[in-house]
Amino acid sequence: MFSHHDQTSPEGTRREPMTMYRHPPHKRAFGWPDLLVLAVVAALIYGLMGLARQWVGGAHFFVNIDLAPSALPKYAFFSLMRAVAAYFLSLGFTFVYGYIAAKSKHTERVMIPMLDILQSIPVLGFLPGLVLGMIAVFPNNNVGLELACIIMIFTGQAWNMTFGFYQSLKSVPAELREVSRVIRLSWWEKVKFIELPFSAISLAWNSLMSMAGGWFFLTVCESFTLGSRRFQLPGIGSYMAAAIEQKNHRAEVYGVLAMCLVIIFCDFVIWRPVMTWVRKFQMEEIQEEVADLPFVTTLLRESWLVRRLKLIMKRRERRRNAPLGASAFQSGTTPAAGTTARLTYEIRSRMRRQKIFDTNLLDLLAKLGTPLTIVVCVWGGTRLWEAVRTLTPHDWRLIWGSVGLTLARVAFALVFGSLWAIPVGILIGLSPRLTRFFQPIIQVAASFPAPMLYPIVTAALLKSGLGFHWGSAVLMMLGAQWYVLFNVLAGAMGVTRDLKDSLKLIGVGGFTRWWRLYLPAAFPAMLTGWVTASGGAWNASIVAEYLQYEGGIMTAAGIGSMISKATDAGNFPMLAGCLAAMVITVVGLNSTFWRWLHDLAETRFRFER
Amino acid sequence: MENPIVELKGVNHTFTMGMGQKLKVLSDIDFALYPDEIVALLGPSGSGKSTCLRIMAGLLKPSDGEVLVDGKRLDGANPWMSMVFQSYALLPWLTVFENVALGLEPHNLPKAEVRTRVKKAIDLVGLEGFEEAYPKELSGGMKQRVGVARALVMERPIICLDEPFSALDVLSAETLRAEILNIWLSKKTQTKSMVLVTHNITEAAAFAKRIFVMGTNPGHLRVSIKNDLPYPRDERSSGFKSLVNNIHDVITQAIIPDTPEWVPPALAGTSIETLPAVPLNELIGLLEFIAARGGQGDSFAISKELGKDFGQVLFLAKAAELLDFVDTPKNAIVLTDFGKRFIQGDVNVRKRVLHEALKQLKLSQLLEAKLREADHLALSIEIVLEHMREWLPNENAQAVLDTLIQWGRYGELFGYNDDTKEIYLDVGQENA
Repeated sequence: MFSHHDQTSPEGTRREPMTMYRHPPHKRAFGWPDLLVLAVVAALIYGLMGLARQWVGGAHFFVNIDLAPSALPKYAFFSLMRAVAAYFLSLGFTFVYGYIAAKSKHTERVMIPMLDILQSIPVLGFLPGLVLGMIAVFPNNNVGLELACIIMIFTGQAWNMTFGFYQSLKSVPAELREVSRVIRLSWWEKVKFIELPFSAISLAWNSLMSMAGGWFFLTVCESFTLGSRRFQLPGIGSYMAAAIEQKNHRAEVYGVLAMCLVIIFCDFVIWRPVMTWVRKFQMEEIQEEVADLPFVTTLLRESWLVRRLKLIMKRRERRRNAPLGASAFQSGTTPAAGTTARLTYEIRSRMRRQKIFDTNLLDLLAKLGTPLTIVVCVWGGTRLWEAVRTLTPHDWRLIWGSVGLTLARVAFALVFGSLWAIPVGILIGLSPRLTRFFQPIIQVAASFPAPMLYPIVTAALLKSGLGFHWGSAVLMMLGAQWYVLFNVLAGAMGVTRDLKDSLKLIGVGGFTRWWRLYLPAAFPAMLTGWVTASGGAWNASIVAEYLQYEGGIMTAAGIGSMISKATDAGNFPMLAGCLAAMVITVVGLNSTFWRWLHDLAETRFRFER
Repeated sequence: MENPIVELKGVNHTFTMGMGQKLKVLSDIDFALYPDEIVALLGPSGSGKSTCLRIMAGLLKPSDGEVLVDGKRLDGANPWMSMVFQSYALLPWLTVFENVALGLEPHNLPKAEVRTRVKKAIDLVGLEGFEEAYPKELSGGMKQRVGVARALVMERPIICLDEPFSALDVLSAETLRAEILNIWLSKKTQTKSMVLVTHNITEAAAFAKRIFVMGTNPGHLRVSIKNDLPYPRDERSSGFKSLVNNIHDVITQAIIPDTPEWVPPALAGTSIETLPAVPLNELIGLLEFIAARGGQGDSFAISKELGKDFGQVLFLAKAAELLDFVDTPKNAIVLTDFGKRFIQGDVNVRKRVLHEALKQLKLSQLLEAKLREADHLALSIEIVLEHMREWLPNENAQAVLDTLIQWGRYGELFGYNDDTKEIYLDVGQENA
């Protein structure tokens, strides 16, 4: 229940404190910021036209990839659009699922545990079934294959966002809820003025995490083999796969660079402005010093075009609000005479509307939702049981043995990843200067989809003589270590000056200071990092233990390779058994081992606020 | 006289803020601490007293000047000092015993020796029986006792107390204060001298043999007051009261002087008064309080009755005087006719009066002129900040501007739009 979804503030805080206000934007008339905005709009339209052609221009389930660097922008754009589409799908799912779960006590009891299970399922195992199903629905164009890819990415993005949103909704302070009842806000007004703003920060952080997780699935889903059939969509993941297949090292480098650029681009163009924007929804008044404004925010603020547009929108809004006298309230003057009658009218009509929405809609959703969920669960359960029943005890021994092997690899990845990530994270986090420099870099590294590097790293591992058995654990570590580093860094930033000063004055230095202060202080954040990293490592095992490498396949015994093998062979009972075993293990670990550490961190190692 | 054990000579300190901005926090500090005395650094927030303490402790290297410990130049953390922090600075994962024992960590003493010394320190502060408790199980007063015990166990000659009672409730603060004084007087410990940083006048008067009153912008030592009252001091004695009054007068003169500071004739027309950073609601609260007591009162009596810090009341009075709402002859605060009009009116009258008052302020006149020159009567906050720095080079432009915006919003003279980050001229009243 507490795994990937609690990345709201302190562990997530990444923006660097500096000064309150930023550089003076020199307001100008139409100028380069406008040209830039126009250019971006034009490029987007052009790109979307190409995208439309790719989707409905006939069925090409296997696209030959052009390894020339000049083709990369196109591929990067296609990939980005897939990730964005999946993100919006996740967002829609988040709103609907999270809202219903938070609002209806009956459905909540089913929906939340289900979410927990969904989050621990290695979704990659479902790729084949999904692809074949989708292609059957859209046989004459690429819509089916594209949708399958997008849904796979969605399954990597949605859960933590939904958890975050659900928890924000549940933690709306009682006073705010009472206020909304007193002023008789309608269902929609409550969402708009209270619930969405309240959950904005958590939603933004989880969105950032989700997009990063989405890249992982994207690179795996764009190019894959199903038995004898090969599927390849034009995209940056396929480019990398093709480069590795053809042993074109130059193209491999281009692919990695392009992926980095896309991630940096997203950081600059999407996440920095979003993070700056959501800061205004902060509930507590924290004396938070604010970094320089992100470039895009400045650009949008400076662009004459955008300012004009904003002004027009604002005027329209003001006109709309005029009957309520809202603009008069906003500007701080008393409302003009005569508005009282209108106000009464408005309130009356609101009461009518509220009745229709508030009670009926939610009730309906709850009434529909509960049986629907139960039906789905029962249906899924019976199907699973039927499949699993055919497995022999020998199969089960094999499955649980493999789970054990993969568990050892996950532990290896966490331990060895932590060995360097914890000290480095603390060292960086203790120095504001280093933090300012390294934090964005680490964020990019954490977002980078590790599977793109698997073949390159594997080559090095094989050369070094470390077999693939442990080599695959190194591959799993590749993605996992960054979560530890990132969170430990944020945790170390929370060590107050007084604490550092007091130990300095006592004369506690070196190892003792680390052991006594820095490590325990970073422990809660470290734990968040471990939980996220282990989730990522379990999922990565499906690719890392069963790797397409230079035309062949490298395997390491473990549950991940077993799932992949069962998938390739179309052995449904085996696949179901493996998935069930993995889910039981992951959920079990979450609710025992990690839960225990989590409670320890909360009771003992949290600083009091 | 004996030689000083700690000495600051010509210490200056400047903080570098973001974007290369510099803020001078300490100017020309000369200070000496002698054996067997308690010294208090007394001043409002922003007077650099904590910075001063950290420089003495070697936790901060001064930008300029030197720190001598027993006549030798200090390099790194001061080995003669231990410190008690306002925030307690306890480790939440260690028990009371372990937290205190942390003070002995570097000595690598045998376990039995650590045990006796920690026990002794814990007994001294009255925490027997709580050795195995974790800090979060303790009240604020008890936590600070752990902080004191940790400072005592180190057996260093000097203890620094950095606002040790500020986070505590009144009763706990008073008890702990008396106990710390008793421990020092009993001479059961190695502690020779103490440095207390505080903004509480009574606290300083009860503790210290010498009280340094510090001023702001940048922080400096304003005056040193000798306090030879014998320990333990009785707060109700006439000697104590007259000492406290004496300190009040010094601070009052510093914050709201009866004779305005002399300004060179060449600059007379151009001098710009800064705004004390006080919240408007507190200012109105003070005016209402005075109005309810017949329109005048003694500033110290008012601060006592309101339960507010004396310095803070003086800043409020200074702000009110700036707006012509009060006069401040000597220690009294007297409502003016203008102030009466303000406080007796309803919200709309108050807004109008404040509007008028703001229009008389040099600073808001300058800002208004700038805004009138600007495109659609608005300027981005950075540009306004730059002007502010030009007009008030020695002030924290940010704080002054925040205050001006707050007052301007109430008086409907200026407004601030957080979406566009612009300050604009509110012309609603002109059109009405």
